[in-house]
Amino acid sequence: MAISRQAFAQKEEECPESKKLRCPIFTPCDGEAKAMSKRVAIVGIGQTKHEGSKPRQIYDEVVFEATKRALEDVGLDRGDIDTVVVSGWDVNDGRTISDMYVAPASGGYFKDSSKTAEEGIFALAYAYLRIASGLFDTALVTGHGHAESPFELISNKVFDPFFVRPLGISSITTLALQANAYVNKYGITEEQAARVVVKNRGNGVNNPYAHLRREVSQRGALNSKVVSLPLRALDCPPQSVGAVALVLASEDVIKKIAVSKNIAWVTGIGWATHTYHMDAADLTHVSALEKAAEVAYKMAGVRDPIKEIDVAEVHDITSYHELMAYEALGIAKPGQGGKVIDSGATDIGGELPVNPSGGVLCTNLHSGSGLLRAAEAALQVMGRAEKRQVPGVKRALAHGISAPAGAIAASHAVIVLEKE
Amino acid sequence: MNTEELIEVQERWNIPYRHSAGRFASRFLIALRDEKKVYGVRCPRCKRVLVPPRPFCERCFVQCTEWVGVSDKGTLEGFTISYQAYVGLPTPPYASGLIKLDGADTALMHFVGGVDLSDPQKAKKAVKIGMRVEAVWKEERLGHILDIEHFRPVQK
Ligand SMILES: [Zn+2]
Repeated sequence: MAISRQAFAQKEEECPESKKLRCPIFTPCDGEAKAMSKRVAIVGIGQTKHEGSKPRQIYDEVVFEATKRALEDVGLDRGDIDTVVVSGWDVNDGRTISDMYVAPASGGYFKDSSKTAEEGIFALAYAYLRIASGLFDTALVTGHGHAESPFELISNKVFDPFFVRPLGISSITTLALQANAYVNKYGITEEQAARVVVKNRGNGVNNPYAHLRREVSQRGALNSKVVSLPLRALDCPPQSVGAVALVLASEDVIKKIAVSKNIAWVTGIGWATHTYHMDAADLTHVSALEKAAEVAYKMAGVRDPIKEIDVAEVHDITSYHELMAYEALGIAKPGQGGKVIDSGATDIGGELPVNPSGGVLCTNLHSGSGLLRAAEAALQVMGRAEKRQVPGVKRALAHGISAPAGAIAASHAVIVLEKE
Repeated sequence: MNTEELIEVQERWNIPYRHSAGRFASRFLIALRDEKKVYGVRCPRCKRVLVPPRPFCERCFVQCTEWVGVSDKGTLEGFTISYQAYVGLPTPPYASGLIKLDGADTALMHFVGGVDLSDPQKAKKAVKIGMRVEAVWKEERLGHILDIEHFRPVQK
């Protein structure tokens, strides 16, 4: 049964006459959708080693490698997959119709396959909807990163050619504008941002797939070169080559293919998009992430995220943005992101460890980092995260951002994953 | 020793585009050129004055028609100063700001200048969110967003 159209209706987030200039955002599903749809789980995970370049592998072979691993992980064949959803930012990849290459590499040959020109976590969201609708039972989702082109220049071309593009604005400048506004409003310190860097880079050492696997010191982070105020070099992620693939299945299929140790149920999912214009945005809070989390929490029945979620993988596109994500996800009160990192609550061994994989600061697949968050969160729920495993995880959260323009027009997705 | 030769191909995309500005952006850009003046449009529903002007308000989803002149002075709502060079982007250091011009309800993105940006720690003290800034107009104007060279702190 398909999800009702009602559930997709845009919510009027603001009174247009209101002086409070909140960003209008939409949500694709709410709690109502849950009762009507089939249960969906992640049942297979594959990822490559992520690195700065892979000169021995042509573009699509990297995706093929991750896909093969995901299928092997669940013991399925390409023929068992009903639908394939791939993702990517074509100009970054240097192929304007990238699914020409990525879809076959994801097992899409003679199959229902489609591409979202978004971050891979949205491919996961669309695949989820396809299975939840009852029209498909199995799906394969891929995300990848390519690093053979100047990302900031390509990001600049996201902007309109009359008003913004000539000013040299790109992803890093909008992220810095946002981080600076956040710092200015709440007095977040450079030391607090550096603490995020130290935590995530330290965690990355435990992740054999991570691109950067070298610890950095607080002093090293604070002394790294200023890139775009307040962001320093180590506050920003690398650009990584690699791929991640997930197999999703409906409950009906899961009963047939006994994979009990390999199941992470999607119990909550929500997404929302920030305003397309930077000019009227309140930059000091990530309203689209707040909305996405609200929807996902409602669906999963999460009321107190710090107590009820055991581990989170968030899209730390900069160290400051991890702190902002704490606030938007309800892990910290507004303006308290810095206090939460200082408290150690998000360290390994803390109340809610964030990014035990090392996060995006260690591995940044442009257009695949969010899907990688979902993969890592699923590994945590399955208890298969090896040296980076947080003990006793029953419920994990994954957050991904689709935002080639940085802070502008950013789409955020939140997924809650659970054991049986 | 086992050596493996791997081929790499270099390529540049140089694709010509024509971008029609349409009547809204055209009028805005022509006023920069001919009047040294900044114009926005007022949304008939939420009444916000949108700068740069656009044919419709994304929030209210209604057509905009009313033109409103705004000041070339305003308040710096947000900024960053960039020190890292990127292929094809401006030579650092440069400051990017969001400027809410007096009479406008949205902020215009532009360069912030007239400040020594060479040292990040000093520059951070010279440029402040909330500071008053004014447009520095170019002598020779072409109907382009850079007919305003940058916005500088208002001299008291
Ligand atoms: Zn309006």
